[in-house]
Amino acid sequence: MKTDSLINVLATGAGPAPRAPAARRLLPAALAGLALATLVAVVLVGLVPTAMFGRAPLWIKFGYTGLLAVAAGWWAARLSRPAAPTGPAWHAVCAVVGGMALLGALALLNTPDNSRMAYLLGKSWLFCPCGVFVLSAPALACVLWAMRGLAPTRPRLAGFAAGLLAGAVGALGYSVACTEESLAFVAAWYSLGILITSLVGAALGPRVLRW
Amino acid sequence: MTVDTPHDEFEPTLKPLWLRAQAGDEAAYREALRRIATRLRGYYGRRLSSLPDDVEDLVQETLLVLHVQRGTYDPALPVSAWVLSIARHKLVDLWRRRGRREALHDSLDDLAEWRHPVAADEQPARRDLGALLQTLPAAQRSAITMIKIEGLSVAEASQRSGVSESALKVQVHRGLKRLSALVRGSP
Repeated sequence: MKTDSLINVLATGAGPAPRAPAARRLLPAALAGLALATLVAVVLVGLVPTAMFGRAPLWIKFGYTGLLAVAAGWWAARLSRPAAPTGPAWHAVCAVVGGMALLGALALLNTPDNSRMAYLLGKSWLFCPCGVFVLSAPALACVLWAMRGLAPTRPRLAGFAAGLLAGAVGALGYSVACTEESLAFVAAWYSLGILITSLVGAALGPRVLRW
Repeated sequence: MTVDTPHDEFEPTLKPLWLRAQAGDEAAYREALRRIATRLRGYYGRRLSSLPDDVEDLVQETLLVLHVQRGTYDPALPVSAWVLSIARHKLVDLWRRRGRREALHDSLDDLAEWRHPVAADEQPARRDLGALLQTLPAAQRSAITMIKIEGLSVAEASQRSGVSESALKVQVHRGLKRLSALVRGSP
C-alpha cells in the first residue's frame, strides 16, 4: 500500500478525535481495581467496627489514599500522552505523600516517648504493606492494561505511575478492613505498600507498555 | 528536543490544520497527515541510513499510531513535539526489535530539523497493509472497508450492514488499533 493511500484510508470518515482518552481508559480501570480490592478486603479480613467511622483516622486514611489515587491518576494520564509536561502532576503526588508524612510525624511527636515505637508499628506493621500490595495487584493489572492502549513514551516511569495509582487504590480498599488508628502507621506502612506496588509497576513497564 | 525554530515552517502551517482535523475536518486531516508523512520520511531516512528499506514501513506504522492515538494530543503543545515524540518512540522500538541499541546515539539529534539534509522521496513500502487488513476479524474488516475505504458515511454503512452506528465506530477504531499492533509485529 502506498503511503498516500494509507493517509486516505485514515482520513476518510475519521470524524473528530476522541476526547480525553486517557481519563476514559484509566478511570474505569482504577474503579474496577478499587471494587476488587474493597471486595477482597471485606471478604478476607472483614469490615472495620462501625465505631471507627465516627473517628478521624479512618477518614484520614480515605483522604490520603483517595487524594493520592487522584494525583497518581493525573500523573499516569500525563505520562500516557506523548510530549505532555508531567511536572505539575508529579508535584501533586509529592504534596499528598509529603502531607501525610507530616501528619504522621506530628502525631508521632505528640506521643509519649515510651509508646512511640508501639504507635508507629501498631499490631500489623508487617502485614499491612503486604496486604496493600496483594489488594493492589488486580488494580495494577487493570491500570497497566488501560495504559497499554494509550501512548506512554517513558515506559518505566509510566509503569511506576501506574503502580502508584494501583497502590493508592489498593490501599483505599485495604483501609476499610484495617483497624489501626495511628497516623504514623498510615504514613509509614500504607506508603510502603504503595511504594512496593509502584516499583513492581516500574519493573513491568518496559515489558508490558510496548506499542 | 528542538522542534520549533523560527526558520521552520512545519509547526506554524501544521498546527491550524491539525486543530481543524481534531475537530473533524477530513480535508484538513488528510493534508496534515501528508505533511507529517513527509517530515517523518525525512526524520527516519536520516536515522535509518543503514536500513533504508525500513523507512517507508516505519512512516506508515507511525501514521497508523498517530491516527489511533490522536486523542492523546494536548492542544497546549506544538503538534510537532507530539509527532516527533511518537516518531522517536517508534524508532527506539524498531532498534530494540532489531537489537541495535548503539545506533541510537545519533549526532543529527543535536541539529535543528530544518538544518538536516533534504530527505529522499518515498520508497515503496515492503509491508502490504491490504493483506494485513484481510487478517482482521470479519466485523472489523467490513467496518473499515465500508467506512474507511469505500467512503460510506457511518449512517450508510449502518443501513447496509444492519450494525448500529456506535458499534461500527467501535469496530473501525478497534480494527485500526489491531492493525497498528499487527504492523508492529510483522517484518
